[in-house]
Amino acid sequence: MSAETIASTQSQLRQHRWDRIMKWIRHIPAYLVLGVWSLFTVFIILWVIISSLKSNNELFKDVWALPTELHFENYTKALFAVEMELYMLNSLVVVLTSVVVILMLSAPAAYVLSRKKFKGSNLLTLAFIAGIGIPVPLLFIPLFIILTAFKINNSLFGLGVLFVALSLPFTIYMLTGFFGSLPVELEEAAIIDGASDFQVFFRVMLPLGLPGLITAAIFNFIGLWNEYQLALVFLNDPNKSTLSLGLYSLSNGMEYTGDWVGLMAGVVIVMIPTILLYIFLSEKMISGITMGAVKS
Amino acid sequence: MKTRKRLIVLFLMPASLVYLVFFLIPTVWAFYYSLFHWSGFGQSMEFRGLGNYTELFHDPIFLLSLRNTLFILVVGGIIVFTLAFILTVLINSGIKGKKLFRAMIFLPNVIATIALTTLWAFIYNPSFGLLNSLFKLIGWEAGAKYTFTSIDHIFYAMLVALIWIEVGFYLVLLMAGMDKIPIEYYEAAKLEGANQWQMFTGITVPLLWDVISVATVLYTIIALKIFEFPYAFSQIQPPPQIYTVGMYLYIMGFGKRDPIYRLGYATAIGVVLLICVLVLVLLLRRLMRREIIQY
Repeated sequence: MSAETIASTQSQLRQHRWDRIMKWIRHIPAYLVLGVWSLFTVFIILWVIISSLKSNNELFKDVWALPTELHFENYTKALFAVEMELYMLNSLVVVLTSVVVILMLSAPAAYVLSRKKFKGSNLLTLAFIAGIGIPVPLLFIPLFIILTAFKINNSLFGLGVLFVALSLPFTIYMLTGFFGSLPVELEEAAIIDGASDFQVFFRVMLPLGLPGLITAAIFNFIGLWNEYQLALVFLNDPNKSTLSLGLYSLSNGMEYTGDWVGLMAGVVIVMIPTILLYIFLSEKMISGITMGAVKS
Repeated sequence: MKTRKRLIVLFLMPASLVYLVFFLIPTVWAFYYSLFHWSGFGQSMEFRGLGNYTELFHDPIFLLSLRNTLFILVVGGIIVFTLAFILTVLINSGIKGKKLFRAMIFLPNVIATIALTTLWAFIYNPSFGLLNSLFKLIGWEAGAKYTFTSIDHIFYAMLVALIWIEVGFYLVLLMAGMDKIPIEYYEAAKLEGANQWQMFTGITVPLLWDVISVATVLYTIIALKIFEFPYAFSQIQPPPQIYTVGMYLYIMGFGKRDPIYRLGYATAIGVVLLICVLVLVLLLRRLMRREIIQY
């Protein structure tokens, strides 16, 4: 190798390294802004988790300090003395059943609306989707009357019915979008093979649409787990409280109890299930938001 | 053909029935209730015509709550979309860890509203809150004594927290739309000597238009009906300074600590809210209608 080629390779390498450094420098503002925003969120959550293990005295003395010993009794107190354990059970029962029923109602409806065109099918789709725009507070009083008429007011069953009804528009919107994007070839092949419409739905559409159904399930689970507005209006028996509503009462009691670390333990108890779900399934959840809105 | 009809009816019936009874009928009923003076479940209703509506537009607290809601919609919306756009462009500028940043910025959206408002109560708390402690730590006396949740500031303190949540949601929407724009367009524009801003206004915005218009409609709906976040944010005795229309409806219907039960009046508030949604959504759809660019 001649001295000249060595020199030129060296200068190329230097140029290459220089380019990479320049690229990195150009990206500094992006990393800085995104980093500060993301770290802020992560920091607050970590701060609450750490503070939930302190004693109230430690918290008031120095909010930045780490706990000297871990006060797990904050959690046992929140779970058993404040009865969050009961609220958690209530939430699990009502949210899980609602999610299953939502899918049982929405999937067949979305299938028909996206695949079988009949007179008025567009109008019906529109009627379902219009529900997204109806402000829920408008329904507080009429629904109160209806639930009382059915004698299911102030009950987890009644709350579950509302969860289902009010989740239908968005779920059907999501699923019609999803079913509509699936290829029709497999269905046609099944029909040629002599499958009935019902068989096509259960044997072809459901398995093919499974990813969409799972996304819809996660989406509704998180939304309903986190909601407290319907629980606030339609439940007034503390024993029937959902977890979110329980935390709401706990935070309202602060001015009397002053047990801030206990409240932080409560916040962590409410947050952890959805955050864990999110850590494992964030891609699925994020795709759920874009399923209806961003057409491919 | 017969089985096909049966399938359509069978598959649509359950969802339609539940939707009709627990969603559409109550919506229509609300219009009827809003015409009555009605002071409690089980009490008799007294026809008032449009009396509730005329009273509403002379009710200073209702007008304040309407102003607050429109402030969240317009000012909040401009801030949310600007920040979401800036963060989207930064995330797409060829850096590493794109998905991680997106996941962290979206994170508040999976946490319960009431947990989020409690987090912010810890941030804003005057005696041990993070912000005041931080100002004390860096020796800024005026900042350390500032009360973020006093009645004059509470609305804006709430709005900051709300923006922090919403930006993540719209970031995800915009990113998904942007990922679909072919990279060749930008390369071609770069060859022609276009700068970042020209590429943004000339390629990104027009090709993202349908996503932007869906996102705007969605934000409008969410902002107008907002109730949970400001209500929980202000704890048990919210001052009128933080009222939104949804909150005022709930308070007129059910009361704060003591029940109020002005059921007809509260429902009239809801009807006004629905009309606002309808008018604004139709208006936006009209304003934002453009030929969708196929690519």
